[in-house]
Amino acid sequence: MTHLRLSIVLTLLVGITGTFSGCKKDDPAPEDENELITTVRLKFTDGTNVQTFQWQDPDGDGGKAPTIQNVALKINKTYKLDVELLDESKMPIVDQTKEITEKKDEHLFVFTPAPASLLTYTYGDKDTKNFPIGLTGSVKTTAAGMGTLKVVLRHQPPVNGMAQKNGTATPGSSDVDITFNVAVTN
Amino acid sequence: MKKGLLVGLVGLLWQSSALMAQTPNPCHCFLKGIIKDQDSGKPIAGAVVRIKENGRFAIANADGRYVIEKLCQGQYTLECKMVGYKPTSVPLSLEHDAVEESFALSEEEIHLQDVEITARKVEAPLAQTATTLQGPQLDQTRGQTLGEALKNITGVTTLQTGTSIAKPVIHGLHSNRVLIMNNGVRQEGQQWGSEHAPEIDPFVAKRLTVVKGAAGVRYGSDAVGGVVLVEPDELPNGGKINGELNTVGFSNGWQGVVSGLVQGSVNNWKGFGWRVQGTLKNGGNVATPAYHLANTGVRERNFSVAMGYRNAQRGAEVFYSQFSTILGIFAGAHIGNVSDLLAVLKNGEPFVQTDFYRQIERPYQDINHNLLKVKAFYNFKNQRLTLTFGRQHNYRAEYDLHGPQAATRPGLLFNITTFTNDLIYEHQPIAGKITGQIGLSGLYQYNLSDGRPLIPDFDQRNLGLFVIERYIRTRWEWEMGLRYDARQLDVYQFVGRVLNPRQHRFQSFSGTAGVVYNANSQLSARFNVGTAWRPPNVNELYSNGVHHGAAAFEKGDATLQPETALNATASLTYNARRLKVEMGFYRNLIDNYIYAKPQPEPILTIRGAFPYFQYVQTRAVFAGIDLTTEYAFSAKFKHQAKLSYLRAYDQQNDDFLVLIPANRSENTLNYNFGTILKSHDTFVSLTHLWVAEQRRVPPNSDFAPPPPAYHLWTVQTGGTFKVSKSRALDWGLSVQNALNTPYRDYLNRFRYFALDQGRNVSLRLKWIF
Repeated sequence: MTHLRLSIVLTLLVGITGTFSGCKKDDPAPEDENELITTVRLKFTDGTNVQTFQWQDPDGDGGKAPTIQNVALKINKTYKLDVELLDESKMPIVDQTKEITEKKDEHLFVFTPAPASLLTYTYGDKDTKNFPIGLTGSVKTTAAGMGTLKVVLRHQPPVNGMAQKNGTATPGSSDVDITFNVAVTN
Repeated sequence: MKKGLLVGLVGLLWQSSALMAQTPNPCHCFLKGIIKDQDSGKPIAGAVVRIKENGRFAIANADGRYVIEKLCQGQYTLECKMVGYKPTSVPLSLEHDAVEESFALSEEEIHLQDVEITARKVEAPLAQTATTLQGPQLDQTRGQTLGEALKNITGVTTLQTGTSIAKPVIHGLHSNRVLIMNNGVRQEGQQWGSEHAPEIDPFVAKRLTVVKGAAGVRYGSDAVGGVVLVEPDELPNGGKINGELNTVGFSNGWQGVVSGLVQGSVNNWKGFGWRVQGTLKNGGNVATPAYHLANTGVRERNFSVAMGYRNAQRGAEVFYSQFSTILGIFAGAHIGNVSDLLAVLKNGEPFVQTDFYRQIERPYQDINHNLLKVKAFYNFKNQRLTLTFGRQHNYRAEYDLHGPQAATRPGLLFNITTFTNDLIYEHQPIAGKITGQIGLSGLYQYNLSDGRPLIPDFDQRNLGLFVIERYIRTRWEWEMGLRYDARQLDVYQFVGRVLNPRQHRFQSFSGTAGVVYNANSQLSARFNVGTAWRPPNVNELYSNGVHHGAAAFEKGDATLQPETALNATASLTYNARRLKVEMGFYRNLIDNYIYAKPQPEPILTIRGAFPYFQYVQTRAVFAGIDLTTEYAFSAKFKHQAKLSYLRAYDQQNDDFLVLIPANRSENTLNYNFGTILKSHDTFVSLTHLWVAEQRRVPPNSDFAPPPPAYHLWTVQTGGTFKVSKSRALDWGLSVQNALNTPYRDYLNRFRYFALDQGRNVSLRLKWIF
């Protein structure tokens, strides 16, 4: 009887201790999104003339609205277009372009101008299976006017060991889906 | 294994007539109850119940029920005998207006001269509908997840994410509005997420009980829609080492499940018992009638150990369980933005279609839940003190399709640790009429998350105090209770990289009042009004990001107030030899009902535009009917029907609510051949399930309209081979979705992407030793 009472008291104590004495725990730390893309930079090169336009949302989804620069190009020119992806929420800034280069067999950029007559895009790079990637390419402006350029990055990883990337936009899901305003002038 | 008798003495004794209450006649007591097989839970017809002192006896009817009337007050011994079972005896004290002693007895190796009784009080609130799955009914669900198993109870459906993640939905409510009591401890994981299934191995349980309706007084916060009780057997108390081995094989997904249990007691150390249990599960890609679902495999590895000591006066037990699973998430359901979702919807079938594959790849969930429970009780002078301490840790890692920093870090990681303490004091019956309990519950919890920002870190403390009293008089049984809860929630939110701690305090009173009327041994009616509360969850207060599975941007609101439910339930139970009917009505009015409301302007992100949802509150009402009937055409042939009807409405906005389960009906014909080729209780059954189309949805609230109604057929057969007195082999063969019908369910979140599961043949063997 005595040791039963003792054991009840002990259990009670252990229990209450567990409940109310702040147990050892890690301190809260800010969460880090592993693979955030906050910024997409389009670098248009025409000879020595380099123009960069960016779509930027440094605080990630939600919060402050993204800032989008308007793309201004000249008519009847062929620009080299390089795409750069950054995570500017981290210090130092993370260059996410490398991730795409490393996993080029499962990524595809798709550039869609509207109206279609505004400009034409030509891929300038290939993955190991000869499918385009889109980190580098060229843009030929064909008509003067106002329009938009939609930039979509498709992530097309293998499923059940089978490669999905086939050069079209269909497989996979979108990592980037943004639209720039474009002005092509004389 | 030796057969034990399970004698449930329901509403043990009372005066036979209400009129007699004024002029007590000492010889107008009566005694009634039910006799059940301890293992199967089946009633035992023909068992003899005899009062030792005067030789009066009764024979249990086909339902195991018996009545002995016109007994005088006094001390008696009740004996129960049946061929093939150990005799059991129970000492009785017959008094006028005596207390209800609803308990279930299980004892092996009983010596008549040395009676030792282990009583297990019925946990559920008296006047609320509680349905239990046990014995053969539970056996037929073996191998399935907890959520799927509970679907067998009328009024319970599931909220699914694909085929492997199923959450129980009671009367249209789920997640944080359904409380799961795992072996007496409230289950605390990340239950707010619709793709977060309960982290419980159903093989631990010998009984799965669903208490329908708000039960906030007894169980505390979150018991808004109902409570699920997952209960193992009492630890053995004497007897030889025994156990069971379950093996289940499913054709769909080529899933295999093995689960074993061994238990025993310690020689010459009376009162000590132990149990070891473990389960392994492995399955691959699930097949729909048209294609396989890529990356839908599942792995599970669970075990539990328990040991304890008990006698009539005191006892203590320690229980430890661990649940580990790796769940593949259907590859075709991964979307980056709304355009991806709309493209799949337009395509009508997933872009990703593969063959059978067992490997699990990204995206997947890696979950581990462990629970340590210590429980002690002490009986003294008709009083009882019970202390339950629980410590649980839930680890949830969700690996996205992306491979960040190689394959090492999950996209989302949650670690939640919860301590619970419950002290319950059951007082001495007052004037022999009023029994009751006073309870004190404490909870301390902390959550740490990492990866994609979804919810901030937090810790919370909860203290609850409750009183429940029961008054048993003649045919009427009353129950009333009151509870007070206080909660403090500390949130460690980061704004940018700066910590911005926030504190919330919530408090609430809950109440319950119920009455049971036993018209006669066959007919009884119950009525209950109960309230429950639920403080807003951290995701509802602070979520701020894209919910990838739902293709939605969800924003919390830190000013949300607790939800309070006012729930009225009424039920009628008729239990005759051929016909059994259980009919329940309910109306649950939830004030401050929290839901994610679509906003007119989408949110622009780098992955494209997402529909924007904001957590808001409204006044919602859930009302419906559950009906179960069973009719025996003959001793061998019976029909069972289950029907559930639910209408949920947003009273404040005059509109319907999203994600409410559709109405459904299920009909089963069962033929029992008796003994055939040495297989006992051999049966064949045919089940038809009809699920209606959910037409009550708010307009423009969804990417796709609710799927059409569907019909599913299930064929089952099974029986038992008795190998020796204590050994048996139970077998069961079933074909679910026998016609391989293509269908989609409104409450399956992957209905946008793919069909539901196709035909599934399963073979179940249970070796009892």
